[in-house]
Amino acid sequence: MEPTRPHAGGEFTLAVRFRFYHKKRGSRRTGSSRLGSAGEILFFAFFLLIGCAGFAVALMTLIVPQWRVNHEFVEHRCIVLKKKIGRSDGEDGTVYRAEIQIEYHLGDDTFRIWTYDIHRAYSSGREAKQAIIDRFLIDQEKPIEYVCWYDPAEPGTAVLVRGYTWWIWLILVIPITFILIGLGGVIYRVLHWGKSTEHRAVIQQRVKRRDPFVVNGAAARKFPSVPDDTDISNSPGTTLRYRLPTLASPGWKLFGLFLVSLFWNGIVSVFVVLAVSSHVEGEPEWFLTLFIIPFVGIGVFVIFLFVRQLLVATGIGPTLVEISDHPLQPGDSCRLFVSQSGRLSINSIRVCLICEEEATYRQGTNTRTETREVYRREVSCHESFEVHRGLPFEAECDLEMPARAMHSFKSEHNGIGWQVVVEGDVAGWPDYRRSFPLIVHPGNGRPRNDRPRNDRTDP
Amino acid sequence: MNDSAITVRFDGNGRAYRPGETLSGQYVFNSVASQDLAAIEVSVLWTSEGKGDEDLAVHEFSRQDIEEGEWFDTRRPGRFSTTLPNSPLSYEGVIVKLRWCVRVRVFLRQGGELVGQREFQLGEVPSADAGENSID
Repeated sequence: MEPTRPHAGGEFTLAVRFRFYHKKRGSRRTGSSRLGSAGEILFFAFFLLIGCAGFAVALMTLIVPQWRVNHEFVEHRCIVLKKKIGRSDGEDGTVYRAEIQIEYHLGDDTFRIWTYDIHRAYSSGREAKQAIIDRFLIDQEKPIEYVCWYDPAEPGTAVLVRGYTWWIWLILVIPITFILIGLGGVIYRVLHWGKSTEHRAVIQQRVKRRDPFVVNGAAARKFPSVPDDTDISNSPGTTLRYRLPTLASPGWKLFGLFLVSLFWNGIVSVFVVLAVSSHVEGEPEWFLTLFIIPFVGIGVFVIFLFVRQLLVATGIGPTLVEISDHPLQPGDSCRLFVSQSGRLSINSIRVCLICEEEATYRQGTNTRTETREVYRREVSCHESFEVHRGLPFEAECDLEMPARAMHSFKSEHNGIGWQVVVEGDVAGWPDYRRSFPLIVHPGNGRPRNDRPRNDRTDP
Repeated sequence: MNDSAITVRFDGNGRAYRPGETLSGQYVFNSVASQDLAAIEVSVLWTSEGKGDEDLAVHEFSRQDIEEGEWFDTRRPGRFSTTLPNSPLSYEGVIVKLRWCVRVRVFLRQGGELVGQREFQLGEVPSADAGENSID
């Protein structure tokens, strides 16, 4: 049965039956949910199986033998007959182990075996193995007795060292990781088996409510899906009550561009050196030369962005924005204070109130985020003035929220955010833009200007 | 079973609600027999639409397990009622849209599912229009 079209008024009915394949629509469902869940359970069960098998093998071949050596093997005396360094040549090079031939007597039986520790594993480092065998002396005239430990269940097995080896426990991390991933996946999928989208969402919401690190945890009860305003309310201003944090610190942006520039140009420079060398040596690599031209172009552009950001960050001083009231509601009005430091000849500084929508979506294997400005209003504009060092530009203005504005919103893949944006046009410098996020709560249709206000910070 | 359907109706025939208001209504089964039901889920939820991947959050959820002894007579309408939250409000943006709805999902004994839903508007936020001060 195919879904029926929505009726007027947003009402519709549809039936859902088991299908092997559903129509693909963006990142949305691409197949039968039950078949998908069954596949995921099998996938995680395979992980679990591999983990259990690996754990069992590690237990039986590494942990148990070592435990038995330390707890069940019987102390005895032996003499050393021969010694050597065993070697094994593999793909990763030659590895070594200490090999010592000992002889010991149990009742009427005499045992002569090559041994050292219980695992007899090869590893790199010939010197370490040489040091081990040097500790055991061979004297044909007066044989020296050494302590050994033999297996009472299998007297032909004996070792010259006991104790625990740390790397054995480290090996267990691998199967345990497989077990945790597999078990977690199987439990999660089994718990969600046969549950509707809504039922699963309810379970996830309950889990998120217990998570103290969720984005809007504090505000979730009163205003679900509205971001928390604690970061702003915790930051007092010097002129007005709250100082707004900047959306992206210029320092971090500069550091990010520096890393990108270093990484990109570091790689490209290797190929540039190769290409230039080929020309200098008279055997030009024309394909390589032509191939790297666009990559060099991108590298130059990244350097340009870095230098531009460096100029903005170092030449144009910090921008501060303070607000008298926060969080805001639609229809609210409040005071806004803007300060710009530096030594600048400013053509204009515009302060705007902006609302942006943000959507994150998957495209193939990539995750992309798109933003769209849906509201802009100029709050104040100051033109043609000088800012002197130690005497920052300061201005106050009124900020009015639109009466029927959408509130701030944040979910996993979508968001609606309000910002105060300061855009500067400085003579001789690149233009700059600094954003300061605001939190807007849903209103009740009436402005809150009747509530007690204290715009200024306490002296 | 292909002709089965679920109709969701709101009391008072209202479609725009304010935060904190009570949303109530009923759902009616058309040509579904009681003995065919395995479970009924009623959800009041919002979903996102637009450019981004879909988000969904459930404000109110109830489930009746008919197979586990709870009885539901499909000849009579089922009722639901909830106090609506403060947020998020319904929103018709450019790349982000938020839609509220009441969704009734029925699990059938034969293994299929039936879904009926009806949208409603929470709040009165006007739609956004890129580049214009349309919110004013």
